[in-house]
Amino acid sequence: MPNSANIDEFNQPKFSQAESSQSRLAAVVPQPDMAIVAEGVEVSLSAGQQQLQILKQINWSIRAGDIQLLMGPSGSGKTTLLSVLAGLLTPTVGTVYLLGQNITKMSRSQQARFRRDHIGFIFQDFNLFPALSAIENVETTLNLKGIHRRQSRQQAQALLDQVGLADKGHQLPRQLSGGEKQRVAIARALAGQPQLILADEPTAALDSQSGHAVMELLRQLAKDAGRTVLIVTHDPRIVDVADRIAHLDDGVLQED
Amino acid sequence: MASIARKNLLEDIPRFLVAQIGILFAVSLVTIQTGMQAGFTRSTSKLIDESPADIWVSSPSMEHLGLTLPIPYDRLSQVRRVAGVDRAEAATIRLTVWRRVRVNQVTSITLIGGEPNGLLLPSSKITQGSFSDLRQPYAIVADSASLKTIQIQQLGDTEAIGSLPAKLVGLAKGTQSIVFDNIIFTSLESANAYATSSLTATPIASPPAPKALTPTDPVSFVLVQAQPGEDLASLKQRLESTVPGIRAYTRAEMSSRTQTYWQERSGIGFILGMGAVVGIIVGVVIVGQILYASVSDHIKEFGTLKAMGASDWFIYSVIVEQALWMAILGYVPGMGMCLGVAAWTAATQGITILITPVSAIVVLGTTVLMCVSSAFFAIQKVTRVDPAIVFKA
Repeated sequence: MPNSANIDEFNQPKFSQAESSQSRLAAVVPQPDMAIVAEGVEVSLSAGQQQLQILKQINWSIRAGDIQLLMGPSGSGKTTLLSVLAGLLTPTVGTVYLLGQNITKMSRSQQARFRRDHIGFIFQDFNLFPALSAIENVETTLNLKGIHRRQSRQQAQALLDQVGLADKGHQLPRQLSGGEKQRVAIARALAGQPQLILADEPTAALDSQSGHAVMELLRQLAKDAGRTVLIVTHDPRIVDVADRIAHLDDGVLQED
Repeated sequence: MASIARKNLLEDIPRFLVAQIGILFAVSLVTIQTGMQAGFTRSTSKLIDESPADIWVSSPSMEHLGLTLPIPYDRLSQVRRVAGVDRAEAATIRLTVWRRVRVNQVTSITLIGGEPNGLLLPSSKITQGSFSDLRQPYAIVADSASLKTIQIQQLGDTEAIGSLPAKLVGLAKGTQSIVFDNIIFTSLESANAYATSSLTATPIASPPAPKALTPTDPVSFVLVQAQPGEDLASLKQRLESTVPGIRAYTRAEMSSRTQTYWQERSGIGFILGMGAVVGIIVGVVIVGQILYASVSDHIKEFGTLKAMGASDWFIYSVIVEQALWMAILGYVPGMGMCLGVAAWTAATQGITILITPVSAIVVLGTTVLMCVSSAFFAIQKVTRVDPAIVFKA
């Protein structure tokens, strides 16, 4: 975890002259080795007169390039923590640093731009756009990043090749098996070369064999490019793909 | 980028078709109502607009083409003496009764008397026979759209106006106005004879030929064609200052006066305008409901886009693009259908539904505005979507 001096340094990014103003948000302050840092994160919800504490004093660092598993029973707060770390949910208390930047301090539009430029998502239900073909699903991420159609089509095809779906680019999600859908989702998450991949129960909708194959594929593609992967799961069959495992129980984090 | 908007829209074809039928209905309602209003307005002054007369001389009490007090026939000779007048003709327009003697039935008609092939009865409107044949005594020309109402079959058939015979010698097309009963053309002399004949007496089989008009006989208008290069405003002033007891109107003034009368006094403009407003409201409701349902169905996709870093404006653009596709794909068949209906009513009913390039563009703009404004509630919904829903199974 960074000390306060380091945190201040993260919040004062230094840019090279070559960096455009558009890329300022994406610019990363020199950060030794931590891709994700949560400092004193708490999330509380009001339920009538009662105050429910979903996350309790989470202090956690995830090393850049690691594949980190976050495990825990249903209702333990895993998805809430993932939402906080992705900048989709503002913590009641605490700060989150992603790639050296204080995402908690950012405006919603800055957070959106940060996610677009640095984070790839993989979802439990795949969340593919059902009206778009596999290749168009992958292209969407690239187009959001401002990559033009011809280039994005080539890159999307290359990503589908990498996940073993070279000949399925023009099929709609409903024409694909669960494993194939998750491969498309992985290709979409990797599009644009984000430094962080956040995956929520990526094997929940897959059978054991498909789940393991998909996780092996993700591990290989992430490791090759030195990406940091955070996988939220309660699936014990995929622990072997992880570099590190943390457990969340009743909002309290415990690292192995 | 692949059009998420278009593909989402076409993903559920039955729902898309229902939406498009709704928009088609709204477009048709707006187009037909505004077209009828424009057609009605134009129809009221059709005889004026299509006449080559530059100036219309009438009683100062004239309200519109069909409502005026008579002026004496000798105003014609007085007008002809005014400098700058190239040609002048008298015309009468009056309501009277068409009698089908054998079956003892009557129908109201608008009888227009004028100079055959003159300023009010141009030969370009004739489809069968000739306006020249109106020089025969008691000869008439009817508009094809009136034939069904006056129950006359073919050229040469004779019925009666008042107690005098009326022989069909020609057919015209496109002269019928929505505000006038069945229009019947005849010569000025025949019109004068019909006007003074009894409406109740038994029709005379072989009456004497109609007399030439005397200086005191009543006419409705004197139509004037100015000499080439003549300033119409000056001529109009000269006519009013020289000829006693008249007012003079340029063609544009006469047309405007007649249109304004019917728009303001009849209330029909308001009624048709209300129809158009109802069409727009129906369209907004239908498109709004469809867009809202579409956004609700795809809410997780919008959440996913937000999670992936799409800006709010990008999300809005998807919804607005959907609205635009709905507008265009509803407008094209809707306008096509309206053009077909307009052609049919003009040919068979003599009713003009006026659809001009300008009005078609205005309806397109209205449709686009209607669809885009309908996206408001869908945008409200998607604005409130919590991107964290992407993590909920």
